Amino acid sequence: MNLLATPSRLDAEAPHQSRRSRTDVAITAIVVLAVLAAIVMGLSTHRFVTLANAKAILTSASLVGIAALGLTLITIGGSAVSLAVSQTVAVAGMVFLSAQSLGLLPAFVIAVVCGTVITGLQGAVVGYAAANPVVLTIAASFAITGVATGVSGGTTVSPTGTGYDVLNATPGGVALSVYVLIVMALVVEWVLRRTGFGRSLYLIGENRPAARAAGLPVGRTTVVAWLAAGALFAVTAAFTAAFNTSANVNLGGTLTFDAIAAVLAGGTPISGGRGSALRTLAGAVLIAAVSDILLLRGYSTGVQIMVKGLIVLFVVVIVHLRAKGRQA
Amino acid sequence: MVRSHIVHPLPASVHTLTASGRRIRATMALAAVMAGVALLAGACGEGSADGKSGTSGSGGVKGKTINFVGYGKDNPWGAYFNTVFIGKLESAGAKVVDLTTMDPGTAVTNFNQAISNKPDLIVAALLDTSSMVVPIKKAKQANIPVLVYDGRPDPSVDGDVMQVLSDSEALGIAAAQNLVEGLKAQGKESGNLIVITGTKSGFAAQDRMKGFDAELAKTPGYKVIDNQDGNWDPTLSGKIATQLFAKYGCAGIQGAYGMADYMALPIVAAAKQAGCEVGGKNGVIVTGSNCFKVGIDAIKAGTLYGTATEDPGTIAEQTAGYVIRYFNGENPPKKELVKEERVTAQNVDRYAAQCSKA
Repeated sequence: MNLLATPSRLDAEAPHQSRRSRTDVAITAIVVLAVLAAIVMGLSTHRFVTLANAKAILTSASLVGIAALGLTLITIGGSAVSLAVSQTVAVAGMVFLSAQSLGLLPAFVIAVVCGTVITGLQGAVVGYAAANPVVLTIAASFAITGVATGVSGGTTVSPTGTGYDVLNATPGGVALSVYVLIVMALVVEWVLRRTGFGRSLYLIGENRPAARAAGLPVGRTTVVAWLAAGALFAVTAAFTAAFNTSANVNLGGTLTFDAIAAVLAGGTPISGGRGSALRTLAGAVLIAAVSDILLLRGYSTGVQIMVKGLIVLFVVVIVHLRAKGRQA
Repeated sequence: MVRSHIVHPLPASVHTLTASGRRIRATMALAAVMAGVALLAGACGEGSADGKSGTSGSGGVKGKTINFVGYGKDNPWGAYFNTVFIGKLESAGAKVVDLTTMDPGTAVTNFNQAISNKPDLIVAALLDTSSMVVPIKKAKQANIPVLVYDGRPDPSVDGDVMQVLSDSEALGIAAAQNLVEGLKAQGKESGNLIVITGTKSGFAAQDRMKGFDAELAKTPGYKVIDNQDGNWDPTLSGKIATQLFAKYGCAGIQGAYGMADYMALPIVAAAKQAGCEVGGKNGVIVTGSNCFKVGIDAIKAGTLYGTATEDPGTIAEQTAGYVIRYFNGENPPKKELVKEERVTAQNVDRYAAQCSKA
């Protein structure tokens, strides 16, 4: 039967495959054109191709990029996104600066523990109780801000020591946060590709019920992903607080959406199961580079934000069309 | 002068006197006369040439209900303002209903709630001047007096509210003076400046730039080469500053103005990361224009050349004082400006305590 059926199925699939290949070619052509347009725009922008500007782009990408790496773990694991990134960063940043009297390292460790616990708790509810991550993290964001405001009285935290300034260092003329971003991207990529945890995370993100049926530790894997994400949010918090020299509940600013934009612009689908840390790194750098081009060309902050949104929309549509093409 | 809160009971009196048609007609006639007098007096009050508040309260602040639609406690400036303002009024015997928020949409809802509460006074900070136009007009229709503090209201309702305002133009002037003074002290008679503003669509940023530009025009050697919207966001300000230092290089920027200290300090960090010297004999001169503790610390450390006051404690004291004078029937001026001071290393000790509350 199979032997008989195979040719007819192939015959039936032939037009689909032809259509799919045409779609793939069209999508690839659009992406190549978009990249070429961005390169031409960059090259034709005065002062864009300079070493100083490259450093500036990487520095701008670094703080968002580190947080986005954490978010990548959450997204690949099928938990969509966390909408409490900014709030977690704010609290961890406040803790980091207020603990400066203990020294840089203890303050850093305390901040990382803080970020890890806050985010890990949310991960536990998502992983074990199958809570909707978007709804849960919206609620968490309000709760975190409320508690932080109540504890701090709404005041700005100033550093109680000067150790934090080490994080503003520029070894080799490049901001320390850039090195940390690159190292963290490589570590997260290695974990995703080379460890059992990473492979489980992809499978869980691809099909949670199937992963559960296959006996994978869905709850534990999800919690570990969120714990790691929380640690990365806290690293961002320490660098951001050190850069701003102060921290309050608004420290995170638009980081939640900036990190989501970096993840999506890197091509990681919001549905999970695919994506990579290196793609997120590329997404963060892409957004920073385009913002830089617009600033150098004299466009306002509003235009920069709008273009960021268009980039994300463009990539999401491309990813969606590609996925649809594969399903066809 | 008829007090606005005396006008309110009129409809109630109309409804309660219904014993007979004659009494109703008499009451209606009386109500009409009183309403006419009230409207006439109100009109006179609004157009008062002496600039007085025109609808002054009476009988002192004790027992008065004030609905407070101010900045939320999650904003450091608002948190300290609220503590001082509420504390002073409650200790004077007023009841303050806290409707504070940092969300412009919620502020509109809270303002409408305040109108339905029918307080003796609404005290409000305008997060979004445009969206507050209609609520302010509603309050006027309901004869509820409104006092706006910190930032000025939309011009269309400027005459409808009392105001205790930060002197934003003075803050901009102070920032320009700081830059010019700092650069001249370095022996530079000319130089390029960058500016990272608060939200450009807001009056606070616009007014500060008005004062800044006017003051800077007196010394034509110094030019603003880039002016970007930092949206009162320190992280965004830092990113913009990083890109601007890459764009112009250390030699291309001699001075920088971040509208708040928490925006100026990321500029300092960005300059240092770009390898630029900050302050001193030849470094970039950076100034803020409303003081916070971190700014004061930076002035003492020599990385921030200067700032200006606009501290929440001073404005809170003056706003609370205005409310007390209003209810005491002292007819305070309809609009008061808070005196702002320029702060540099020369006088930082004098303002350190005042500026270290937020």
